[in-house]
Amino acid sequence: MTSTSRTLAPHADAPPTPPEERSVASPTAIEALLEELGPQLRLGGAPVESLQRFATGIASIDELTEGGFPRGRLSEIAGPASSGRTSLALALLAGATASGEIASLVDLADAFDPASAEAAGVALERVLWVRPPGLKEALTCTERLIDASGFALVLLDLATAKGLARSPAPATWPRLTRAASSTGTGLVVLSHQRIAGSYTELAMELEPARARFSTSPALLEGLETGIARFRGGSAGKAHLPARQAYGLPSSRIKHAG
Amino acid sequence: MRARRPAAQRTLALSIEPSNDEAPPSPPELPSKPPRPKSERGVRVACLRVPDLLLAAELRANPELLGSAFVVAAGDHPRAEVVSISPEADRQGVHRGSSVAQARTVCGTLRVRVASPALEQATRDALLDVALAFSPRACLAPRSSGAFGSEAAVFLDASGVDSLFHSEAGFAAALSDRAARLGLAGDVSLAASQAAALVVARQLATGRAQSSAPGSAPGCEVQVLPVGADANFLAPLPIDVFDPSDSLAEVLTRFGVHRVRDLLALPRRSLATRLGPEAMRLIALARGRVEEPPLPVPEVLKLTEAIDLDYPVERLEPLAFVLQGLLSRLCERLETRRLACGDLYVKLTTGGESEGRDTRRVGIPAPTLDLRVLMRLLSHALEARPPGGPVTGASIETEGLPVHSDQLDLFRPAGPAPAVLGATLSELESLCGSGRVGTPQVADDHRPDAYAIGPFRPGRPAHPSAHMPFEAPSPGFATGPLNPLQTGSVREAPRAHAGPSLAIRALRPPVPAQVQLRHGRPEQVRSGIASGRVIRVAGPWRTTGGWWSREGHYAYDCFDVLTSDGTVSRLRYDHIQKRWDIDAIYD
Repeated sequence: MTSTSRTLAPHADAPPTPPEERSVASPTAIEALLEELGPQLRLGGAPVESLQRFATGIASIDELTEGGFPRGRLSEIAGPASSGRTSLALALLAGATASGEIASLVDLADAFDPASAEAAGVALERVLWVRPPGLKEALTCTERLIDASGFALVLLDLATAKGLARSPAPATWPRLTRAASSTGTGLVVLSHQRIAGSYTELAMELEPARARFSTSPALLEGLETGIARFRGGSAGKAHLPARQAYGLPSSRIKHAG
Repeated sequence: MRARRPAAQRTLALSIEPSNDEAPPSPPELPSKPPRPKSERGVRVACLRVPDLLLAAELRANPELLGSAFVVAAGDHPRAEVVSISPEADRQGVHRGSSVAQARTVCGTLRVRVASPALEQATRDALLDVALAFSPRACLAPRSSGAFGSEAAVFLDASGVDSLFHSEAGFAAALSDRAARLGLAGDVSLAASQAAALVVARQLATGRAQSSAPGSAPGCEVQVLPVGADANFLAPLPIDVFDPSDSLAEVLTRFGVHRVRDLLALPRRSLATRLGPEAMRLIALARGRVEEPPLPVPEVLKLTEAIDLDYPVERLEPLAFVLQGLLSRLCERLETRRLACGDLYVKLTTGGESEGRDTRRVGIPAPTLDLRVLMRLLSHALEARPPGGPVTGASIETEGLPVHSDQLDLFRPAGPAPAVLGATLSELESLCGSGRVGTPQVADDHRPDAYAIGPFRPGRPAHPSAHMPFEAPSPGFATGPLNPLQTGSVREAPRAHAGPSLAIRALRPPVPAQVQLRHGRPEQVRSGIASGRVIRVAGPWRTTGGWWSREGHYAYDCFDVLTSDGTVSRLRYDHIQKRWDIDAIYD
């Protein structure tokens, strides 16, 4: 999967604009442009190297993200409760560990359920579960894990039940991005809403769509979620949200029945 | 004191011809004999001797004392005897054997340290560590008495070292350098026997004292006795270098025997009749033909650093400072032996009302030498359970563990290097607390919120239980807060993955909920996680167990509910506690 680069250089075929007629773009317009193009902007127009990616095993997501979540970059999965963000994150973990690589989960929310992860196909013995007591420790642990240079994927779960009391310091994300880039570790942040700003290579905001219940007897069968906003890949920003359904593991349905 | 002068530069070139009765001298016109083959050289023993162990121990624990006038006293009162003096104090006229009060009158700026047996023992052990860094065969010399009572020496097997260090002098210089780096500057000698090596090392210090001004700092000189030169070297030395017993020394003095060659001139049989076996042993030492048992191979890898404090320490901060010093010295010793630090066993001697010993174990997730990480783990342990009273002494014991090299897999991507992973795990545990870093495991338990966490060993096979019928969990296992597992076992589930699976986000601890029922089923829910009218509900799924124990008994009715705010959660009624809560969210 290759992505094209876009530069701010004027188009070669366009007639040159006289200096007196050039208008200065408003800051809002620049922000909108940055938001839309995001990581596709490269100063000087240097070609973007092809990023290796973690496949999630979910066809619609992998297609949208052009192969999965990127290595050596910061990505975000955001969404409210029951939006399917944890299921997507576990699918990502499963994909990373299935190839024999080692992944780590920094679980500030202390919400990781090993049984769910195992049902999702995560090789638990190749996952390091870190349960920090606070945000500061969580960020320090994340940095240490990236610096250890051997964890293919570090998943930082900041989606605490009560929400974060305060946001991470602004300097956190460039530091983590730089560390991830130098070691080739894929860093994925899981949260209620996007917090890493423009440092993310790929950001996905999910929203709950529908909970599927069967009738007689009433059983929870799964969730359907939609992608509210997406940023990343060559498309820059996807305008057509993809829908995804997560089914409850059959073993649990049998047990419940 | 550390590396006062390069040891290699102080190497003495000794050229002593073998005596007539040992081997005929070479004709002067012939070129020097080629070095003997290793098989002909026999046993070679190196001796590392620290002239004043108490002084070295204090300097090792308090490097800031270097260059200052200080003494080590036998007690903390003014009449306590001064048992060791620093070179600067010696220069100012302080004498060993005087009282502390007398010493203070001579030197106004004198600093007094109280001798710490624990510190002395730790320094003696560190000396052995230096030797073990070079040879597996090493032992400490027995404690001497009299004029050599303050010394400490270690012997190590030096046979064949010239092939590793180019020469025996090079080996001796390396040994001296390593000792100086640990704050144990001492003299190094090589000879054919332990006794001869010790005598040579003692002679180095004696010669230095005679040639230099009083108060000169203890140096680190090396001397190598060539093969077969022991007897000739020892002959002119005084008998005292062998540290004979007082009675034998008195008799020999009365006989007019002052030097080793005088002793060798006496008829052996008569000497044996009159002076007994000790005299015969002295003669054997003087001839360089003493029979010594081979040097042992110490197998114990436990290392201890300890200190007796001059003043009781009540607060954690100064105590941490003391413990950091112990840990730092422990890490230096471990590094010398190419080992890493395992679990720490901290013993604190407490005074005051709660007099006694406070012993605790600080688990180290992976062998490491990172002092910052070790200190953080130790501080966590101290803050979690502070000592019961003022601390008057402390010791830290650890087991030296080898750091394994990485065995790369042909078919799997390489993970972090073992040493890096070990340091990272230790640091993570120091940040997060004990039992909060590891591999997630599915607990063999029917509780909805059961989980387990075990040690992280990524190199192990995917399912160890496939090879072993049952793997008991290690003591480091942690389980769910509401669920102290009765058996502690971990369930192995079949790895089957078909399509994206709905995940559960656990709420630890569960969030209390207010539930309004209609026909026994939730109709309205209010909680900090999910609130509103219940749109769809499935259940109840009843789970009970642990009825055989009062604490472990549980009985839940679980409902999967979709509330009007869009949240799908697992609502449960606890029949034991008689309350509703939400313990998980489907996400």
